[in-house]
Amino acid sequence: MLRLFLSLVLAVSFFGSFSAKAETELWGDFSGVTLRVKLIGGGQYEGLYNEVIPWWEENTGGKIEIVTQKNHFELDKEIKKDIASGNLDFCVASNHTSFASQYGNIYTDLNNIMPASVLADYTPLILEHSTVDGRLVQMPRHSDVSNLYYQKSLYEDADNKANFKAKYGYDLTPPETWDQVKDQAIFFSNPPDFYGTQYVGKEEAIAGRFYELVIANGGALFDEDYRPIFNSPAGVEALQWFIDLYNAKAVPDGVLNYLWDDTGLGFASGTIAMNLDWAGWAGFFNDPENSKVAGDIGLVRAPMGSGGLRTGWSGSHSFSMTESCPDKEAAASFLWALTSNKAQMIEARGGLSPTRPAIWDAIIAEKKAEGDEFMLMVFETFKMSLAEDAFTPPLIPEWIEFTNALYPELQAAILGDKSPEDALATASKKATEIMEDAGYF
Amino acid sequence: MRKFLNGPWVLLMPTLIILTCVVLLPLLLSLWTSFTPFKLTKPDTLYRFVGFRNYERLIGDLDFWIAFGRTVLFLAIALNLELVFGLGIALLINKITYGQRTLRTLMMFPMMFSPILVGFQWKYIFNDNIGLMNNFLREFGVIQPIPWLVDGILANVSIMAAEIWSSTSVFAILLLAGLLGIPKDPIEAAKVDGCNSWQVFKNITLPFLMPFVFIAMTIRSLDVARAYDIVQMMTGGGPAKRTELLWTLISRTGYVDAKMGMANAMSYISIFLSIAFTFFFFYKLVEARQRLSYE
Repeated sequence: MLRLFLSLVLAVSFFGSFSAKAETELWGDFSGVTLRVKLIGGGQYEGLYNEVIPWWEENTGGKIEIVTQKNHFELDKEIKKDIASGNLDFCVASNHTSFASQYGNIYTDLNNIMPASVLADYTPLILEHSTVDGRLVQMPRHSDVSNLYYQKSLYEDADNKANFKAKYGYDLTPPETWDQVKDQAIFFSNPPDFYGTQYVGKEEAIAGRFYELVIANGGALFDEDYRPIFNSPAGVEALQWFIDLYNAKAVPDGVLNYLWDDTGLGFASGTIAMNLDWAGWAGFFNDPENSKVAGDIGLVRAPMGSGGLRTGWSGSHSFSMTESCPDKEAAASFLWALTSNKAQMIEARGGLSPTRPAIWDAIIAEKKAEGDEFMLMVFETFKMSLAEDAFTPPLIPEWIEFTNALYPELQAAILGDKSPEDALATASKKATEIMEDAGYF
Repeated sequence: MRKFLNGPWVLLMPTLIILTCVVLLPLLLSLWTSFTPFKLTKPDTLYRFVGFRNYERLIGDLDFWIAFGRTVLFLAIALNLELVFGLGIALLINKITYGQRTLRTLMMFPMMFSPILVGFQWKYIFNDNIGLMNNFLREFGVIQPIPWLVDGILANVSIMAAEIWSSTSVFAILLLAGLLGIPKDPIEAAKVDGCNSWQVFKNITLPFLMPFVFIAMTIRSLDVARAYDIVQMMTGGGPAKRTELLWTLISRTGYVDAKMGMANAMSYISIFLSIAFTFFFFYKLVEARQRLSYE
């Protein structure tokens, strides 16, 4: 006999000063159950666990044992090793829409576990992105897309306005296109003290940035059969954008070793004029204790490429349940708690973008009530870009392997070791081998 | 049967079983995987035999052979510099009569740091924007930041500096042990006969030290040929593969791309590098010992 499972209750949840719309809650009595979990670690992610785990334990009688808490790339390696050794002795793990398709069938299809009324509380498009081969393998935690932060005072300075107009022939306003970003970045740069912009320069990070610019330029990475088609005018134009900024010294020399922390901390240091970055950095950038640009930050939607589309490389952090989990009922309840209204409100207050429409409304209402103009601007901008600009990378198991083949070639072109055409031709050849090996054609 | 149970085999059995489980079986398994398209995320691929396909692909893989060549070069330069610095430190410490123990302990400090920490620390030192090195040079009028971890030569030099800083004390401590064991009589006799310091060092001290030098070389060659943590932390083998060594490539292939079959094929080829260096240094060690006994 199943023990009392998932006391489904339609409840109105109250979180502090606001009330969100009715939410389907998923509680149960899980006394004596201990769930082993593997979670993504890091300052931005751990606050949630400190609040939600005691809350879930108190309400269900169950216990959570955190087996692993490490950055996502290390967690990814660990889970791959677990798959190889067949040692999947945990129930819940952090996941990501870009990574999920690699893991085969180790995660349960949540369509069979989560009641439809629970799933109805999430944005349908994000649930679609969380689905692999028709199986809902993850519950979305928060979504990511990047928009352009900039130092407002640079755009308000009368000398800057006049000099820019004289040099480029158009008004200095926050950029609408990536060509304008290039012009303005070169204009603002005064190396080594100040740089116009920066970009993440290695691994999946630069491959993702290249990907979104190819799309914005009207190109694509693959055709319908997953044959690489990025060695195209749109691809060359995208790569040339990175090269031009590097050659003009409009980005720091060491940018090809930069990852997300480097670009985030770089913008907060006040030495960067414009920075394409994720929503989660907004609070940090505007905190005077951490950031020299606090109080001087503007934000616009990610600019457009030559194809008239905005860049919008997007994905969602999420949680999955293993197929081997012996306590699926408890794990489902915990997955719900981790992505519930309460959980998403905690993360939204830190600037992260929720995956439940109710929380978008709630957080915007809360920021309006508080008169927090900056965070209001952040949420409204990210809400619009997630609705209109966001697109995921190809949700295929080969995505990470493909990015590992692509990024050294992008770097080689940026450093001048190869022409953009040669670099993309080599990357295209390697990508073809990967897709052939995977049996796409 | 009784004869067998009473014989020496019984005493050797625990060792043989442990060695088989801990060394032989994993080696055989990894060798097997190198003949399969084994992917960590697709355990079933472990049972698909593809013959020498991984090795054939590697033979034509220029990236692999460039990483192989860079590892050999890195190893040769790092080992020789560590020897020179280690020998210098050992000779200096051997000379002093007061505070030698304290200095010996201090000398071993870099060895106490984990390689990951060393990588982080040197990455910060050589950061082009906020790094200590560029800020230090700026005090002397070098305004344009030097891209230490981007330029092909400088990036390799920076990684080598971290590796040498971290491990020179291995050489120093082994060579100091050698110096402490050298008999005083031949040195004093040589001095009485009118030899200068250089002649004493070249003809007496160094030949005595050579076995220690080759032991240190063997140990460190195995370490450096497996260099991973420091390189991964500082550059990850990039940018544009400019600092790619065998183990950054193998690790990415095996754990990030999940292509463990291919990664193991790379490992088996790279093992020949370690075997070659070990064989060479052991040969030189035996030669040095024989020379000592003749003299």
